[in-house]
Parts: sequence; structure tokens; C-alpha cells
Amino acid sequence: MNASEVMDPNPTTLKPEDTIERAAKYIMQKRYRNLPIVDDDGCYIGMFGVNCLLKHVIPKAVFIDHGLENVSFIHESLEELYQRFSNVKDLPISLCMNKEVETVKPDTPLTETLLLLYKSKTSIPVLEEGSCKLLGMVSYWDIGKSIMNREQVDA
Amino acid sequence: MHSLHQPDVIFGLSSQWFAGTLFVITYILIVSERLNRAIISMMAAALMIISGVLTQQAAVEGVDFNTIGLLTGMMIIVGITKDSGVFQYLAIRSAKVVKADPWGILVMLMLVTALLSALLDNVTTVLLIAPITILITDTLKISVYPYLFAEIFSSNIGGTATLIGDPPNIMIGSATGLGYNDFLFNLAPISIFILLVSIIPIYLIWGRHLIADPKLINKVMSYREIDAIKDWVLLKKSLFVLTLVMLGFIVGHDYGLQPATVAMFGAALLLTLNCLPQGQEKQSKMVARALNEVEWVTIFFFIGLFILVYGIESTGLLESLAHQVLDLTEGDKTITAISILFVSAVASSVVDNIPFVATMIPLIKNMAVTFGGSQELVPIWWSLALGSCLGGNGSLVGASANLIVAGFAERSGQPIHFLPFMLIAFPMMMVSVLISSIYVYLRYF
Repeated sequence: MNASEVMDPNPTTLKPEDTIERAAKYIMQKRYRNLPIVDDDGCYIGMFGVNCLLKHVIPKAVFIDHGLENVSFIHESLEELYQRFSNVKDLPISLCMNKEVETVKPDTPLTETLLLLYKSKTSIPVLEEGSCKLLGMVSYWDIGKSIMNREQVDA
Repeated sequence: MHSLHQPDVIFGLSSQWFAGTLFVITYILIVSERLNRAIISMMAAALMIISGVLTQQAAVEGVDFNTIGLLTGMMIIVGITKDSGVFQYLAIRSAKVVKADPWGILVMLMLVTALLSALLDNVTTVLLIAPITILITDTLKISVYPYLFAEIFSSNIGGTATLIGDPPNIMIGSATGLGYNDFLFNLAPISIFILLVSIIPIYLIWGRHLIADPKLINKVMSYREIDAIKDWVLLKKSLFVLTLVMLGFIVGHDYGLQPATVAMFGAALLLTLNCLPQGQEKQSKMVARALNEVEWVTIFFFIGLFILVYGIESTGLLESLAHQVLDLTEGDKTITAISILFVSAVASSVVDNIPFVATMIPLIKNMAVTFGGSQELVPIWWSLALGSCLGGNGSLVGASANLIVAGFAERSGQPIHFLPFMLIAFPMMMVSVLISSIYVYLRYF
């Protein structure tokens, strides 16, 4: 069994020009952790997730390289966090994209796909061999469902 | 001469020419930054041995383990101590003492940076202070540039003040036997004066224009610095060990205790206090983490450099260079000291002061006979220390701490560019060197 057999072939996607606010509302509403970003040609360019939101409501001094590790002395209200978020909410999500997420090919074996899923702790994009075209997404839920379904088949 | 079996000819060059050429190439490569400096110095050290200029045994003898031990020990102690949150506490407290007034914060952060740089190494200091600075200036919605500029300046000035403040001082102390108190009594007063003088141009250029919204000032005032202390037990242990180490530096010299022994004992003691209550597995992790805090790149850079410089020293090259310098200064101690002060300052503003000082030390030692003994060299050592430490302020590449701060500036979206920095920093540095030369002349001649 391989990645293409457990992926969701019609995943929800975002466009690079979508604003951070719009994308954020969407992932909050649907309770997604991460969503793939694809351009007009269906080419996968990165992921947008809840971490992006957290990153923009926490002071910048924390996230720069060698940044502040200890923030226990800062006590902020929701209003202050929103203030920081409002500075970036109208910017496109391409500015807040995670390009480090591992991808798999349709024929990547199931166990290898599972291991990647386990390590990266996020849904994994399945890309067409030799191109950037997004074919689907493999998530915990899809894999979990497939494994659970075996129980019913065996029964 | 340390190596008795040097081959006469290496790759068609006399051993002196070969060592000199290798030294110059190494310098060029270090300045070019094409390859990591630790790799360059290790390669140069290996070539000194492979070519036969030094035997391996002689090379090991050339390494100043007092410098290496002091740096490593202090890096371990500071690496553990910083987890307590005490340095953040200090930075926030200093901002609140001046009621979060933007100019007041700048002066306080300068003083804290200078104080910490005098007690810790400069890179560690700016790594601790720069993120807090960015947080505060971001909160106040004011430019971080003058703050980071001022911190570069005060880290190099603060580092000048003590034996352990800056690597050149560590090397000079180790090579000459001058102790912690000697550095403190001779360099700290002038460093404090230079720091205070440096505040003036910073005020005139930026300080008087710094204004922040009172609402934002209140936000900084709402920081609860006491909450920055994450581990009170660790804080107590760390402060206990740091006090002991400082005492060791101050009184140890009279009992023949070298700074490396004091720092390494302190590191071992703090590790013991920290690890003793833990199980074996946790202890291994804690020790590994503490050793990870050591900047091994710097340590290996030092080791390679010591071997390289020992190599050229063993060929007699530095001795002839020393004679040439003395010919130029006509054997006058005052002219020699002041010249070394200015030359070290200008050189250290464009090249790393560590290899420069590593080379200058044996060169100056060779002048002892001319001036009537090693005791007569003391004013020259102070000139070298002042020039090479303060020279770091001359340009963005003058000291490792400058580059670290520049990195922070870039990441915070307000980059410090080479030329604009130098236009203000170089004249300010030259003023500090001029003040130092007057000080050296009045005090020692």
C-alpha cells in the first residue's frame, strides 16, 4: 500500500494571495491545524497553519534567530494580542508560509508515509512525481480511518 | 627558537618564509570569511606540523591552555546561569528604573551591557541583551538602531575593563602573568571614562530625538521582571559560584592560581551543585547541555591560532619583526607604546583582534631586552589591550559581538549597514583611542 491509496484527493486549499485574516478565520472555523497553499496552476508552494497565527501574536523578539527564550515577565491581554495580529491580518499568507513540511510522492510506501506523518506532526502533501502539482493530502484522520476500517473488514 | 629540527627548505622556501607565507594566507582567508575561521586555523596549524616547522609536541606546547580553560570554564558557567533568567531580570529592571523613558533605557542598557561584558564575554552579553532590547523598542514603537549601536560600543568598552572581558585581555593576562586586579586597576578606570564620553555623541545623534507614547511606556512598566527569574534555586547556586569565581580571580593570583583553574573549578562546582540531586540519565543530559553552551568554534579557532603563531615564532620571524618595529620607533618606549595602541586599534577594527593579539604578544615579548626586562613592557601591554579591545568598535567586522548585534538588527527589520555604521563608529573609536593614549602617557611615562 502507498500514499496515494490513503490520501484525500480533494483537500481544501488556500491561495498565496489570500489574507492572513481570511485564512485564519477559515482554519479556526473548520478546526484545521494546517492547510496547503497552491497557486493558480495547482502547484503546491507551502503550508499555512495555526502556528503562523501564534507567531504573529507573540512579540517578534521571541521568533527571531537567538530570540527571547523567556517571556514569563510579559503579561498581556487579549486586546494586546489582537493589536499585534491586526498589524499583519491584511497581509497575504505567502508571507507566513511553512515551506519546511516534508512531501511524499503517490508511490511512497505506507510505512514511510506514516513515519513522516509521525515526525512532522502535520498533514503531508502528496505531489505528482517530478512536479509540484498537489494530488492530495495524507492526514492522521485518513490513515486512522483506513486502519479502523480494516477492523470492520476483518470482523 | 622552540623547534630544533626544522627543515631548511619547505616547498622551495626557507622555514621562515614558509611559515610567514602560511601565516599571511591564513590571515587573508580569515578576513575573506570564505571558510569558517575555525577550519582555517586548524588547517594552518596542521600544515605547520606537517611541513616540519613544528613537531606535534612543540605545537601542543604552543597552545595557551590558560586562555582556553578560562574561556571554556566561563562559557559553561554563563550557559548554566542564563537559564535562571537573571540577565533578563537585570535588563528589564534597568529599563523600569528609569521609568521606561526611551533615552534613560538606552543609557541603562549601555551600562548593563558594559557591566556584563566586563564580567562575561561580549558575545554572550549581546546575545542576552539584544533580544530584550528588540522587545522593549518594539513595544515602545521606536527604532532599535541607536540601542543596538550603543550596545556594540558598550560591549567592547566594557570588555576592555577586565581580564576576562575580552579575549585579547585573556591572552595578554595569560602570556604576561598580569592578574585580574592588574587589569581592573589599570583598565577599568579609563574604560568607565570612555563609556561616559561615548554617551555624548549617541545622545546628540539619536538620544535627544527619542520619544515614546506614554501608553506604550506603561506597557513596558507593566513587565514583571521578578517573573523573569524562572529558577530561584539555580539562581542562588549560579550567583554563589559566580561570586566565588570572581573572588578567585581577585585573590587567586597572589596564591599562584591561574584564571583557567578558577573558571574550570567554578564550572565543575556549578555542574556538581546542579547535577547532584539528579539521576544518572538526567545528569548526562545536563552535562551535555552545559558543554553545548561552549562555543567550540571559537575554542578551536584559538587552538589553531596558537599553534600557527608559535610556528612563526619558532622560525625567528617575529623576533626580526620586533627589531624592525623598534628600529621604526628608535627604541623609544613611549613612541612604541602609543604606536602599538593606535596600530592595534586600526588593525582590530578591520581584522579579528584575536589573531592580531596572538601575533603581537610574542612580538612584544621580543622587545623585553631592548627596554630592560619584561617588567618594562607593562605599559605596552596596556596599550595593546586598549587598542585591540577598543578597536573592535571601529567597524562592523571589528568584533564578533558587533556581527551578532548586526544579525539581530537585520532580523528585526532595521539592518545596521557597514558604511553608515563605520562613519559614526570609526571616529568615535578613534576618540576613545586618543583618550587612551593620553591616559597611557600620563599614567605610565
